[in-house]
Amino acid sequence: MNKIIDIAPLIIFVALILVLLTFLSEKEDQLESVLIDSTFPEFSIASLKDPKRNLSKKDISELPALINVWATWCIACRIEHPFLMDLKKNSVLKIYGLNYKDEREKALDLLKRDGDPYEFSIYDFDGRLAIDLGVYGAPETFFIDENGVIRERHVGVIDKRVWEEKFAIYLDE
Amino acid sequence: MLVLLIKEYGKRSLQFTSMNKLIIFTISILLSVAALSEEPSISNIDVYPFSDPQKEELFYSLIFELRCPKCQSSNLSGSNSPISNDLKREVYELVNEGKSAQQIEAHLIERYGNFIVYNPPIEPATLVLWYGPLFLLFLSLVIIFYIRRKK
Repeated sequence: MNKIIDIAPLIIFVALILVLLTFLSEKEDQLESVLIDSTFPEFSIASLKDPKRNLSKKDISELPALINVWATWCIACRIEHPFLMDLKKNSVLKIYGLNYKDEREKALDLLKRDGDPYEFSIYDFDGRLAIDLGVYGAPETFFIDENGVIRERHVGVIDKRVWEEKFAIYLDE
Repeated sequence: MLVLLIKEYGKRSLQFTSMNKLIIFTISILLSVAALSEEPSISNIDVYPFSDPQKEELFYSLIFELRCPKCQSSNLSGSNSPISNDLKREVYELVNEGKSAQQIEAHLIERYGNFIVYNPPIEPATLVLWYGPLFLLFLSLVIIFYIRRKK
């Protein structure tokens, strides 16, 4: 018993170091997604393609759908762009874009050059809808079910593996 | 843990010689400087005009206490990242709408989770955060007690 007490500080110290190492060395600095299972927030923001057209939640009409946060300044968004184009071609799921703190001209140029996977893009220059979605970077992707409820969120590039692990499961339901 | 170390160190050398005192003093100074540098800083000079000084005070205390979600260890006022500036604008608007500190914090936690505040609410997931250090202190005291009684 006494021996255990003698080495207890060492054991506790090592245990503490191990616990801290595991939790602090996690590479993915992802925040928790608190909005899962809540309804998609209301908004009223202009369209990227047509500044005079005002978009609101009602315009995201074909559910379930993906909402993809993108911008031209976001390099990772270009990496996932071909995957989104593929998805548009091969899936029934509609993709809606949230163009995040971007320049309209540059964004339109990119869509013209690389293709436009989105039904439309919301031009969220001030990042207001982004705040309501808890967005803190791009790309981010949300899956909304047929009732308009956010079911899944992915921070970072979406590829085949992420798609199958996180999103495809909802389409089989 | 540190207390334990110092105690053990003192015991072994039988008495606090001047050399030992110097070492302990140096360690304390180093630790206190480290603690100071952890203080979040105010470095931003955006202009947020207020007509009501109370609201102004609330705004500055909030952006001091709220954390930038993109940068890992900075408050909103100390960060100039686009997301921080957007959140400052959000807080500014909410303060001007007459919302209280609690309401504004709840508003942001609803969107960004507990990460956004430096003093998260006490709930099962944050219990370790709040009471972990106290538990460790208690454990150290128990161990010290046992070791002393043995001798």
